[in-house]
Amino acid sequence: MSTKGTKIPERLKIPFAGITPAPTQEKGQDLFPTGNWRSIRPVYRDKLPPCNNACGTNEKIQGYLDLVKRGKYLDAYALIKEDMPFPSVTGRVCYHPCEQACNRGKYDEAISIRAVERFLGDLGQALARDVVKAGTPNGKKVAVVGSGPAGHSAAYQLARLGYKVTILEKSPKAGGLNRGGIPDWVLPQDVLDREIERLVEIGVEIKTNVEVGKDVTWDDLKKNYDACVLAVGLIDPNSARAEGEDKEGVLFGLPFLRDIGMGTSKVKVGARVAVIGGGNTAIDCAREALRQGAVEVTMITVEGNPQEMPAVPEDLHDMTEEGVELMHGRAMTAVLGNGRIEALQLHPARFSGAINASPINIDKEAKPERFAVDNVIIAVGQRASLKWLPDEFKTERGTIKIDRFGRLGDTNFFAAGDVVQLGSGQPLMVVNAVGDGKRVAFNLDKVLRGQPLEPRTVPVDVIFDLNRMNMTYFPHFPRVQQTLLPPVSRRKTQEEVIQPFTEEQAVEEANRCFSCGTCNACDNCYLVCPEPCIVRDDRSNGLYKILVDYCKGCRVCIEECPTGCLEGVPELDFDSGVVRMDTAFAVSPGLHGRQAEELKNLGERAEKSI
Amino acid sequence: MPTVTETKKRTVRINGCVASAQAAKYADVDVIAAYPIRPYTATMMALAQMVANGELDAEYIVADSEHSQLSISHGAASSGARVFTGSSGVGVQFAYELYSPISGSRMPVQMMIADRTLDPPGDFGSEHTDALSTRDMGWLMGWSCDAQEAFDNHLMAYRIGEDPRVLLPQMVCQDGFFVSHITSDVELPDPGQVKEFLPPYKHPYPLDPRHPVSHGPQIMPEQGPPLQLERARAMEESMPVIEQVHDEFAKIFGRRYDPWVEEFMTDGADVVFFLQGAHAVTARFAIQHMRDRGLKVGMVRLRTIRPYPTERVKDALSKFKVVGVVETNMGLGSVSSGGVLYGEVCAALYESQQKPLVVSFMAGMGGEAIVLKEFYWMAEKMTEAQKRGKIEKRTHWVGFED
Repeated sequence: MSTKGTKIPERLKIPFAGITPAPTQEKGQDLFPTGNWRSIRPVYRDKLPPCNNACGTNEKIQGYLDLVKRGKYLDAYALIKEDMPFPSVTGRVCYHPCEQACNRGKYDEAISIRAVERFLGDLGQALARDVVKAGTPNGKKVAVVGSGPAGHSAAYQLARLGYKVTILEKSPKAGGLNRGGIPDWVLPQDVLDREIERLVEIGVEIKTNVEVGKDVTWDDLKKNYDACVLAVGLIDPNSARAEGEDKEGVLFGLPFLRDIGMGTSKVKVGARVAVIGGGNTAIDCAREALRQGAVEVTMITVEGNPQEMPAVPEDLHDMTEEGVELMHGRAMTAVLGNGRIEALQLHPARFSGAINASPINIDKEAKPERFAVDNVIIAVGQRASLKWLPDEFKTERGTIKIDRFGRLGDTNFFAAGDVVQLGSGQPLMVVNAVGDGKRVAFNLDKVLRGQPLEPRTVPVDVIFDLNRMNMTYFPHFPRVQQTLLPPVSRRKTQEEVIQPFTEEQAVEEANRCFSCGTCNACDNCYLVCPEPCIVRDDRSNGLYKILVDYCKGCRVCIEECPTGCLEGVPELDFDSGVVRMDTAFAVSPGLHGRQAEELKNLGERAEKSI
Repeated sequence: MPTVTETKKRTVRINGCVASAQAAKYADVDVIAAYPIRPYTATMMALAQMVANGELDAEYIVADSEHSQLSISHGAASSGARVFTGSSGVGVQFAYELYSPISGSRMPVQMMIADRTLDPPGDFGSEHTDALSTRDMGWLMGWSCDAQEAFDNHLMAYRIGEDPRVLLPQMVCQDGFFVSHITSDVELPDPGQVKEFLPPYKHPYPLDPRHPVSHGPQIMPEQGPPLQLERARAMEESMPVIEQVHDEFAKIFGRRYDPWVEEFMTDGADVVFFLQGAHAVTARFAIQHMRDRGLKVGMVRLRTIRPYPTERVKDALSKFKVVGVVETNMGLGSVSSGGVLYGEVCAALYESQQKPLVVSFMAGMGGEAIVLKEFYWMAEKMTEAQKRGKIEKRTHWVGFED
């Protein structure tokens, strides 16, 4: 008997035929600590989804879509409110750079993020009490000049940080561009009113009919407040530099919309209206003109075709659907008429450079066209009114001079929104002003606490490449479309054109989200691990833990992670101490980052339970 | 009122393949993994009919290859099922990967093998190389020489392999055609007898979601040798179990087999054939004929090659002058440059004080019958060696020499 007298040393004693407790059972993984075979370690590392990155205020879009998907609407609303004070407004008016950036757009159609935001915003509007609370008062007073998007956002964030905030608003009603620059059929006034109420609810005082430079001076602001945010926006319309702009019947875009919005309009438009300009304000003016009674509205642009216009394509589409005509490649060179407008003189023209802001070349040699109209609305941009501002803080392009943190020199004055962004290359839009207001509020807070202002140095890994995800998990599925009022009926009313999502639609649309680069608790890693080395208590984002004593680094979880959140990190790299060893971590603010504490607990729990 | 207990024992005329299928039925197997290849196909067909007729309640799985067949068998046995599978020739080879994992995880899968010559020549005839090439993979293995023995060996193999002291898979082999396709009388027992002999299969650690265990987990390299040692130990410790089971079989069914070797007319014999399987039937006839003519010839038939009964072979063969190993298998470039049995015989005899001469005969190759005159020829070669006191050469290719 060859086996006679043999014995197996104690340290190598293993169960019958190697049949052991399952790795999930007590001591199941202790018997075979195979972790040292591994050369690649799977690590959960959240990337920044492109939507979050593109959003002017970096809303955690993937995060709230995920919560909507799970029916956690209130959590989703609370998440959106961290960065956005009025989702019901941006859910209607935003030019949604997030949707342009959406990776799903490269695959089939971008997620209808704005519609989901509106769904959440309207849900927040219906709440008796908002989820947002004012911060613990810190005894400091801040003035915010202007109640438009930037001012609103700054005041909101400062109130949450515990400041006593006073908004000074020139107009009789608060809202700024949200009220004066956006027609009712895009943003009903009562929606905005409700958002402003919410601001008052967290202790922000709003003083209307107070104009800086007239009712309060620079020195008053300096004396009466610990700090001040200037968010005065752009209120003076640009001229089209045509002769006869002072004739009766010549209107300017933003004042035209503002007077209607404030209810102070005395204008009665004629049957034939021309709009000069090819941007979004021009589009709003043209569509508003229809609603004010115009029969024929023509939009005259220097741009040679619709694609060159700096306008949101779907708004352009909706406008032409309502019957507005387009006339391209022309500039208005004079307003003709005897005291009152009768016609426009048009010359062929084009931009001298590639971008719309470049100087216009007008072919004065060509025979001028005469275009008969009853009104013209000039909507070629606007500028700031800064007569009250000390000269040292004015730039050549007519904006407020700030450093990279939005601060005016070493004063406690900060500026945000269009009044600093004009001409910066940043497109002017509500969400960018909101983001600006938010960042400035945080910087102001740091200054008043005596903390240094430092640029952000953490590298951000935005996931643009679909190959970094596993696309086999995403079947093609069309975008859920918002319904629109029919063009014929809507062109005569102030009713909202775009209809809201139902709950089902919002969930269906949120379900299309790839969750680019960010764990969304799909459980795939947990299911595909052949051993299993991935443990979790509950199925929720980021609450996975990899048992590194046992994981052999087979990469199955990494390859099969639909979102690209799991990565393989060479084991040798762990020596550098750069990467936290055994669990998820975040380089950008994702759900893993915020759940780090919980993860630590899970690790301990998991160790006890196996 | 009749007081005599009615027995359902009956005798039928069937071939070896059907006898194997009958044995599986009597053993009440739970899972059958099948994939056709001649001559095993006949067993698969018979079982399919039994399942279709409702005679046998078993999962009948047609695999997509022999590799899958054995994989299915492995999985099914792990879940606690009694498994029956089988193959022939190149099919046995195609499943090769699974032999060690199955015995390594100690799953008592039973595999019926109806031998078929490996390619070339693309032959259906019997040659033992297919099964013998897996002889060191931890499976219990032995040959039957007729349909009745095949039937009996299947039942005994289940009983031995499933014994908690053993837990090893079994290859129950029979020669293709000579056993598999020649009909003979087979006594089928009363089901009550089988019930008494073969208890239900119960693996100590079956896969069960209520009591999770890991089968075949990845382990550290240093943890491998203890598992091999345990397998070697199980193979050795099966020997007393095999003897005990043969005893009990004889008591219940009335047929007694020596578990290791069958000795035929060895009393006073000087020269003996040493072989496995069906050619024993021809050999018996040839030996009787030669004995009539005064030749002191006999036969020792090996019934179990794994575990190899070294002591029994030594004791049985030491008393002769010349042993002629009839190979029926291929051991190209082996010790004798003939078959693999020669080495096994010589190694068993090495410690013997009284060593016979050993010569290897390459006969029955390619599935050809070993005819009477070839047995006479081999006996003559052995007698010459006996007279000479020395073998002429280690290996003779029968039919290719004068």
